[in-house]
Amino acid sequence: MTLRRGVFLSGIAVLCAWVLVPLYLIALGAVGGRDAVNSWPKSFWPAELSLSTITAFMNIAGVWTSTLYSVEAAVLCMLFSILLGVPAGYALARFAFRGAVAFRLVVLLTRAFPVAILALPLTVSFIRLGLYDTPLGVGLMHTALALPFAVLVSASLFQAIPREFEEAAWVFGCSGITAFLRVVLPLALPGIAATAIFAFVISWNEVFAATVLTVRHKTLTAYLLSVLSESPLHVQFAGGFVLIIPSVLFIFLVRRHLFAMWGIANR
Amino acid sequence: MTRPGLRGLSAALLGATLLLAPPRAHAEDMVFVSTQMRPIEEAQKVRDTILKDAPAPVAYVTEDPPALPVRVKAEMQGGKHTISLIGALHGELQPLATMGALMTLDDLAARLKERGIPDEVMKLGQFGTGHQMYIPWMQATYLMVANRQALPYLPAGADINALTYDQLQAWAAAIQEKTGKRMLGFPAGPKGLMHRFFEGFLYPSYTGGVVVPFRSDDAEKMWTAFAGLWKTVNPNSTSYNFMQEPLLAGDVWIGFDHVARVLDALRQKPDDFVAFPAPAGPKGRGYMPVLAGLAVAKGAPDANGAMALIDYLAKPETQITTARAVGFFPVVKATLPPDLDPGLKLAVAAIAATGGAKDALPSLLPIGLGQKGGEFDKVFMDTFQLVVLRGQKPRAVLDRQGQEMQRILTETGAPCWAPDPPSQGACQVK
Repeated sequence: MTLRRGVFLSGIAVLCAWVLVPLYLIALGAVGGRDAVNSWPKSFWPAELSLSTITAFMNIAGVWTSTLYSVEAAVLCMLFSILLGVPAGYALARFAFRGAVAFRLVVLLTRAFPVAILALPLTVSFIRLGLYDTPLGVGLMHTALALPFAVLVSASLFQAIPREFEEAAWVFGCSGITAFLRVVLPLALPGIAATAIFAFVISWNEVFAATVLTVRHKTLTAYLLSVLSESPLHVQFAGGFVLIIPSVLFIFLVRRHLFAMWGIANR
Repeated sequence: MTRPGLRGLSAALLGATLLLAPPRAHAEDMVFVSTQMRPIEEAQKVRDTILKDAPAPVAYVTEDPPALPVRVKAEMQGGKHTISLIGALHGELQPLATMGALMTLDDLAARLKERGIPDEVMKLGQFGTGHQMYIPWMQATYLMVANRQALPYLPAGADINALTYDQLQAWAAAIQEKTGKRMLGFPAGPKGLMHRFFEGFLYPSYTGGVVVPFRSDDAEKMWTAFAGLWKTVNPNSTSYNFMQEPLLAGDVWIGFDHVARVLDALRQKPDDFVAFPAPAGPKGRGYMPVLAGLAVAKGAPDANGAMALIDYLAKPETQITTARAVGFFPVVKATLPPDLDPGLKLAVAAIAATGGAKDALPSLLPIGLGQKGGEFDKVFMDTFQLVVLRGQKPRAVLDRQGQEMQRILTETGAPCWAPDPPSQGACQVK
């Protein structure tokens, strides 16, 4: 018993270290000062604590506005993916229609072409549509990238909810729509929320489309991340650290719903 | 946290976006797109220092070099222009001029004549069309930096400002013998500029050309010699992108890189490092000057503002500020002040020593390759990998890679550029 417990605990310790040690090293690089980053051998404890690189990073002109554009594009992407993806997923799960299998495959096509070769025609059509250099345009582009996941994940969500629930609701006087809203949707909501988060993250992390489609209104990734790799090491550490915090917080807040999604979707 | 919590979260997110949706202020600022000075700190200095006294507010936007022609072309085809001023390297501006995306700047060039931009530099901005397509903006080059701890190992009689490749090898070998470590470094990482070393330094120094003698006997000897030199090179070099990092970390004592990519080391520890020109080979001291220029997009929303900004950026005071802030050097006549910071002084002296060397052999960045520039660079990197890293015989590799290079030149029709002799039609590998 104690042996098993020991194995269990050391397993937990290894997994925690797996995640936490890199995070710690990034934090160390971010607050340890300029010299510590380049010195060798590295010490595991900070020689000096300074927030100067981090504050310098946060004070870069335009970081906050581009963060807002990022949030704006990501929220739009999230909304569009849910509004378009959930009904499509429901249709795939509940109705047998001609071309359903083909649809499942075709929906993946937006991920089949590298955005790089589409850059020129895409930008030209966005200019003609008046969407060039707007967060709405970036949000739409990211929706196209996130939609396959939204459709397929929500299809598997709805498949996991027994059809009998809906039929019972119809018996008790619900219409197709109210049965969906009152019975199916509440059951699927955690999974849909997770899908939404997934769409948000896809948009948040996407660089290429966001770069070519914007000039003044660049998202945070397009504005900073694309050049981060060409910056001195201590700035890279500060940037990495600043960008990790929101995602760690976010995952922490929604962790239960993430488990819900894997729990249902894997059934 | 259950459903209300989630709902609250999404409502909060949505609300935040709608409320905080930034007012589209500054949207009327003139857009200045640049492929230079992209790293965060440098871009910040451009905004805070260089453009602080600009005649009108400027939105400084950085752009990856491959994305620039895509954007300019898209704006031309889409008919909506956002870019007014373009700042890029000579070789990056040429494809834009070829696709007819740049305004001619003949009047401006005439007005700026008194600033003292050398005629031959100004002329580069015409791409042989007879019209000024861009105004030279600033220049840089590549140099060598060494840790002072390496200096005692210099071979007897060697002048650090007039090294040869043989002396460099002897130097690095002496360090290896004494310390047991390979302390010479090159930026051969995925984002490093190693290909420029072959195109602008090694090839001209050993063969007097780049394309024409690509597979010559001289080139064969050169690769054999470089493979020998590589035995003293730190094997981590294939992961170095910016030499300032291994130099500061003490991983290498001697390094070669673009001045902007070693400047941080010189600035942080000016007392620990020396800077000097790249070595010379049998045919001279090959080196690659880097020239950036300013061009105005055809159909620019604010062409006059763009020209006023070029005028401002080409003022001697602004050029000195630029040199101080980001380490690119003036193209106009400007005397750098004596109170320059010591790291920058080291770089300035080394650059002057490079250009002023008796055996200096300037070698231009590839011209006229357009989108195929990357393939051209790859020919050199592939040859390097096969000959130096995998130890294949240079002759066979050069013959194969020479065909690849000829294909690229024939497809683009690019005529030879200096130091290769001028050609009628596409440049030919001998």
